[in-house]
Amino acid sequence: MTGHPAALCAAELASGRPLNLSRRGFLRGALGAGAGTLILGVGLPAGPARAQAAAAAPGTNVPAFLEIRPDGTVRLLSPFVEGGQGIFTGMAQIVGEELDADPAVFTVENAPAGADYLVIGGQMRITGGSMSVRLSYPVMRRLGALARAMLIEAAAAELGVPARELSTEPGRVVHAASGRDLGYGALAGAAFDLAVPDPDSVTLKDPSAFRWIGREQPRLDVHDKSTGRAEYAIDIRVEGMLQAAVSHAPRLGLTVGTIRNREEVAALPGVAAVEVLDGAVAVLAERWWTAKRAVEALEVDWVPFDTLPEGWREMPADFSSADFAAALAASEADETEAEAEGDAPGVLAGAETVISATYHSQYLNHAQLEPPSAVARFNGDGTLDLWLPNQAPEQYQSTVAGLTGLDPAQVRIHSPMLGGFFGRHFLYPAASPYPQAIELARRAGRPVKMIWTREQEFLRDPLRPMAAVRFRGALDGDGLPLAIEAVSATEGPTEAINGRGDQVDPTALEGLTGKAYAIPTRRMAQAYVRNPAMLAYWRSVGNSMNDFFYECFLDEMAAAGGQDPFELRRHLLRDDARLSALLEAVADLSGGWKRGPYDAPDGTRRARGIGMASPFGSEAAAIAEVSIAAGRVVVHDVWEVLDPGQAVNPALVRQQVRGAAALGLSQVLMEESVWQDGAPVARNYDMYRILPPGDMPPVHVGILESGAQIGGVGEPPLPAVPPAVANAVAALTGQPVRRMPLSRMSFES
Amino acid sequence: MPVKKTLSLAAVLAVLVLAGGAWYVTRLPASPFDGETAAAPAPDLIARGEYVARQADCVACHSLEGGAPFAGGLEMGTPLGVIHATNITPDPDHGIGGYTLADFDRALRDGVTPDGRRLYPAMPYPSYEKMTDDDIRALYAFFMAGVEPVAEPVPENGIPWPLNIRWPLAAWNAVFTSGAVYQPDPERDALWNRGAYLVEGAGHCGSCHTPRGIAMNEKGLDSSDPDFLSGALLDGWYAPSLRGDGAAGIGRWSEEDLFAFLSEGRNAHAVVFGSMTEAFNNSLQFLTEPDLRAMAHYLKSLPGEGEAWVPAPAEVTTPAQAARAGLPGAQSYLANCAACHGRDGSGQAPWIPPLAGVTSAQVAEPASQINVTLNGSGRVVADGMPDAYRMPPYRGRMDDAEIAEILSFVRQSWGNRGGAVDPADVADLRSRTDPASIDPIVLQMR
Amino acid sequence: MQLTVNGTPREIDAPGDTPLLWVLRDDLGLTGTKYGCGLAQCGACSVLVDGQVMRSCVTPVEMLEGAEITTIEAIESDPVGARVVEKWVEHQVPQCGYCQSGQVVAATALLKEIPEPTEEDIRATMVNLCRCGTYNYIRAAMTDLAGREGETL
Ligand code: FES
Ligand code: FES
Repeated sequence: MTGHPAALCAAELASGRPLNLSRRGFLRGALGAGAGTLILGVGLPAGPARAQAAAAAPGTNVPAFLEIRPDGTVRLLSPFVEGGQGIFTGMAQIVGEELDADPAVFTVENAPAGADYLVIGGQMRITGGSMSVRLSYPVMRRLGALARAMLIEAAAAELGVPARELSTEPGRVVHAASGRDLGYGALAGAAFDLAVPDPDSVTLKDPSAFRWIGREQPRLDVHDKSTGRAEYAIDIRVEGMLQAAVSHAPRLGLTVGTIRNREEVAALPGVAAVEVLDGAVAVLAERWWTAKRAVEALEVDWVPFDTLPEGWREMPADFSSADFAAALAASEADETEAEAEGDAPGVLAGAETVISATYHSQYLNHAQLEPPSAVARFNGDGTLDLWLPNQAPEQYQSTVAGLTGLDPAQVRIHSPMLGGFFGRHFLYPAASPYPQAIELARRAGRPVKMIWTREQEFLRDPLRPMAAVRFRGALDGDGLPLAIEAVSATEGPTEAINGRGDQVDPTALEGLTGKAYAIPTRRMAQAYVRNPAMLAYWRSVGNSMNDFFYECFLDEMAAAGGQDPFELRRHLLRDDARLSALLEAVADLSGGWKRGPYDAPDGTRRARGIGMASPFGSEAAAIAEVSIAAGRVVVHDVWEVLDPGQAVNPALVRQQVRGAAALGLSQVLMEESVWQDGAPVARNYDMYRILPPGDMPPVHVGILESGAQIGGVGEPPLPAVPPAVANAVAALTGQPVRRMPLSRMSFES
Repeated sequence: MPVKKTLSLAAVLAVLVLAGGAWYVTRLPASPFDGETAAAPAPDLIARGEYVARQADCVACHSLEGGAPFAGGLEMGTPLGVIHATNITPDPDHGIGGYTLADFDRALRDGVTPDGRRLYPAMPYPSYEKMTDDDIRALYAFFMAGVEPVAEPVPENGIPWPLNIRWPLAAWNAVFTSGAVYQPDPERDALWNRGAYLVEGAGHCGSCHTPRGIAMNEKGLDSSDPDFLSGALLDGWYAPSLRGDGAAGIGRWSEEDLFAFLSEGRNAHAVVFGSMTEAFNNSLQFLTEPDLRAMAHYLKSLPGEGEAWVPAPAEVTTPAQAARAGLPGAQSYLANCAACHGRDGSGQAPWIPPLAGVTSAQVAEPASQINVTLNGSGRVVADGMPDAYRMPPYRGRMDDAEIAEILSFVRQSWGNRGGAVDPADVADLRSRTDPASIDPIVLQMR
Repeated sequence: MQLTVNGTPREIDAPGDTPLLWVLRDDLGLTGTKYGCGLAQCGACSVLVDGQVMRSCVTPVEMLEGAEITTIEAIESDPVGARVVEKWVEHQVPQCGYCQSGQVVAATALLKEIPEPTEEDIRATMVNLCRCGTYNYIRAAMTDLAGREGETL
C-alpha cells in the first residue's frame, strides 16, 4: 500500500498540467469576491464523471438531487455533509424556498461523489471553510426553482392549461382560474422525467417574499439524534464484513520490522488474520473488540521506512513541542511579506514609543467525538464501496481511484453523518483509516470495517499549526498606534498539505492580515519553519490563532498608550460603518462596555475583555467576563455578535456561535497537544482536555444582518473568543497573556 | 519510564563512617566457584538459568523498552545522582563476557565486580546471596550462552566525587547482609521452604516491600523479622505489607487469592499497579504454578497485626446526592471514578479493582493512591494479553485540590481508614512523576 | 450468558470481560450507544442499568447478569426518557449528535432520581463531553425539564 498525494488542485487536473496558481486566486477568479480564505486542495473526478459533468452544469440536474414521494415528502441529496452545523436544514430551507415546499417535509441525506454536486462555482465542493451556504446559495436556490418549473410544466400538461397560468403554494401547483390544484407528490413522477429547463430561464424569488429563508426553522435531524437513530460511519454494517483494529508505529516514519508473536496472536480465538500495513499492524476479527485486544497484544519491533510513503513526514525521535516553540521564537528564517502598507521599519525606528512582544500558539487536536472509521467493500463487478467520514467526496473518490487503480466511476463514496469534524475529515496523508480498510478488504476478500481507537486517532491526528509571532508596535505622542508589525514563524496548513508555493500561504497568516483597523503602517510577514508534525485545518484555520495574537497585542498597544481597548477599537474603526455597528452591538448586548476590574455581587473580582475577527466573509466581536478562582481562570459570560451579512436560519446561526465559542474557550483555557520524545503525550480525553460542561459559560448571541454579501457561519464565531478571554485576564491581572492555553499559567486567586 | 530508587544522603554518610581497612574493603570475597572453569553449558542448564532469571526479575532493571535484552541502561535517580543498570549481556567489553563463574557469583551474591569495585545496593545482592550455588551456576549458563552479546556501553553514572567512591560499601555489606545461602527451616514443610527461598532470595520482594533503615538497609531479610515485608515507600509508590495485617496487609486474602494475584495479576481484591506491574508483566507470571503456590503459601504464613477492614455502607451514591450533601470529594468521585470503581467503591473485580477495603486506602501513606490517580497505571499484560481496562491518568483533568478531595473521600468512606490527603502531597508527587505509558510494555528476555 | 436489554432477554456468547458497549453495538446491533473514548472520559456510551446511568465502555458484560439494561433505542418507551427527548427536540439541543445518546440517557437517569433537579444537581450530574459545544442548550433543556423558567436560546 502506498501513500497518496495529499490533495490535488482542481485547476491542475482540469488543465492537465501543473499550474502555479494560488487557490485563493483560483477561487477569486472563479467566484468573485467573498470566496473566502480557506484554500483547499481539490480533486475532481476524471473520466466518465467529467463527461457527465459536461452534460448538465453542476447543480442543475434536478433528479440527481431531489425525489418527491407520492405523499409529498421531499428527499434531498445535500451536496454538503451534515456534521452538526445544520447544513441539511439550511439546504432544505434554501431549496424549499424556491421549490415552494415546506422544509419540514424534507428528509436530507448526503449526496454521493459525482460531478452533479460540484455546486461551488460549478467547480468543486467541500464541506468546510464555512463555504457551504455562502458559496452555493445561488446555485441551490436555482436548483429549487428549476424543480418547481418542472413540476409546473408537468401540471400544465396534466391540467391542459398553459404553464404561465399556474402558480404554486407550498407543496402544490395551483390553477387559480379553475380552482384546481395538484400536489407535488402526484406530479413528481412525470415532472422529473422532463428535461431540466435552461438554468437561465428561471427567475429567483424576491427576498421580500421569502417564507423560510431568514426564519428560524427547526432542525430536521434532532429527533433522530436524540434517540440514537442517526447513523454515522462508525455504525455502518455490511453483510459479511470483518472488523479491524490497528496499532500504529509510535512515530510517523517507522514501520514494521518484526512481529515477535505474530503466530500466537493469529491463533487467538476469533482472530481472522494479523496483517502488516505501512507503519502499522492490524488484526481482523469478527468482533471489533477481539481485534482491538489482539492488536494490542502484538509485540512489534518498529524500524525506519526505506522509502517514506508520499506525503508522510518523518517525526524525529527527540522532537518536543516545547523545544519547537523555542525554536520558532528564535527563528531567523527569511521573512516573506503577506501585507505591507507604508514603511514599517522606518516608522518603528523613528517612533517615540515602541513595544514588542512574542506570542505563541499550541498544537491542537480536532478531537471530534466520533473516532475515525471506514468500511470498504469490493464488489463482484469490480467496483468499490467506501463508507467513511469525509468533507470532500470527490477528492476521496479520485484519490482512492489512484490508490486502487480503479476508475473513479468504479469508486462509490458514501458519506454518512459526521460525528463532528472541525477540519478533521479532509484528505490528509497517514491520517485516515480508509487506505487501511481498502487494503485489508482486498487481502481478506471480504468487506472490512476499520475503527481507530481514540488512542490510535490521537497518534495520527494532524494538528493545528503552532506559531511564534514577534510583534512590534509604534505609538504616537497621543498613545495611538502608528505602526504594527508581526512576523509569524509558522507553517500554514495549506502549504503543509499541498507543498509550498511562491507566495505566503494565506491560511498561515489570515487574521494577522486583513484586519480592518486604521493603523497607517502595517507589515505582516511569515518566517517559514517546517513542522516535523503533520498539519491540518482546524475550525477557523489560521484565524483560530492569529486573531488571538493580533487582538491581544492590540490590547498591549492600548495599555502602553494609556487607551481603553474598546475605545481604541472604536477609534480605529471609525471609518468602517459595518464594524463600528458591530462593536456597538456587542457592547450593548453586554449591557455597555466596562473593562474592570470590579467586584461582582458574588464577591468575585472580575474584568472583561474584547476581541474581534473578520473570518470567512463574516464579522464577529466578542466580550468575555472572567475571574480567577483557585488559580484558574473562570469565564462567567460571553457576549458575541456575528454579522454574516444575511442569516438563512438565525436559530442555526446562534447554535454555531455557541458551539464555536465553546471551541474557542476550550482552546484558550485548556487545550494543547504536547509532544515529547517524538510522540503526543495525550492519547485520549484523559490527558487531552476539551471543554467540559462545568466550564461552559452562558454565551449570549446577537446576530447583525448588515446585508453585506452572505458570509460563513460555522467558523467565524470562534476567533474572537480566545482574545476576548485573554484580554479580560490581562485586564484582571495587569499581565498580558501571550500564549495559549491559560492552564499553562498559574494565577494568584 | 526511569525507575527512581532512593538512597538517602544519610545512608551514604553512614556508610562512610563505617569505613574499615583498605584490605577489607578492596579484597575479592571468596566464591565456592573459585578456580572452576565452566564447560559449555547444556541446553537444559541454560533453560533452567532462564527460569532463575525470571525469578530474579533481572530483565526489569537491565533492559530498556525497545532496547536489546539485558543491554542495561535503566536510569535510577538517587539523591546522590543518577546511576545506570549495567550491560549484563556476554559482550566481553561492555558486558560480562569476561566474567568467570566465580566473578559472576561475587557480583551477584557479594556485590563485588572482578576488579574489586563494590556495586551499589540498588543491585539486590542482600537477597540474591540466599540463592543456591546451583541456581547461580544455571543463571551464569543462561547469561553466557542464552543471551545475545550487545556491544553497547553503559552511560556514565552521575554521582560526583567523593560520593562515588565505592569501597565503603564493603563495610555496609558487612553490617547489613547475612552472607549466607538460604537455609531451609526444618520446622516447616517443603512448600513453605520453597516459597521462603523464592520470596526472600531471588524474588527479592523485600527490596520494595520491606521498610529501610537509616543506611537504606532493609530492616528485615527473612520471616523471623516482623519488619520483613511490612510495607515501604519507594519511588513514589507505597509497596504494601505482604503480611497478614488485617487492613493494611493481605489478611483478608486467601492463599488462593494470593495465587491468583501472582499468576494473573488480579483477584477479587486488587489488580497489580505501579511498579508491581513491571515485575508482574516481565517476570512473576512466568513462574511455575508450584512455585507461585509456594510463594502464596509462604506469604500467607507471615503473621500480621491490626484489625480487619469492616465494610460500611455508602452514604451517597449519586453526584446529585453528593452535591446536596455539600461533599465536593464525593461529587467528583461519583462523576469521575464511579463509572469504573462503583458508586459504593465495590469495583468490578477482577477486571477493575474495588476501592472499598483496598489496602492502599487503609494505610496512612497515601503515595500509591495519589500516584495512580495522577498517572494512571501501566498496562497489565497477563498471558500475553494486555488488560481490557486501564486506569487513566487524571493529572491533566484535575488539580491538586480536587485529587486530594476525591482521595480523602475514598480513604474515609465504606469503612476505609486511610485518612485525608493533603493537596501538598499531590503537588509534590505531581512534580516528580510522569504519566504511565498507554502502550503495553513487554521487555524481552532473549 | 443472558442479558436483559430494552425489556428483551438476549443470549450473549461474548467473553465475560467484553465491555457492554461492544456487545450492544456488535452483537446486538444497537449502535445508538456510541464509542467516544473507551476510557470513561466522555460519556457517549452511557446506558441505563436498573435505571441508573452507567458508562458501558468500562462495564464488563459479565457484571450485568440479571440487570435491566435500557439503551437509547428504547429511551422513549420510558416516560421520563420520552419527556427528555421531547425537550431535546424542542430546545434543538443536538448538533453533530454523536454525544447526544449519552446526554439523553444521563438526563433521564438524573430526572428519574430527582424529578426537579436544582442547577447544582444538573451541574454535578450532567458531565458528559460535547465537542460541538451544545452545553448551553443542554442546560436550557434541563432547566425546562426541571420545571423552571429558563431561557429559550
Ligand atoms: S466511550 Fe465510554 S465514556 Fe467515552
Ligand atoms: S453534538 Fe456533537 S459532540 Fe455533542
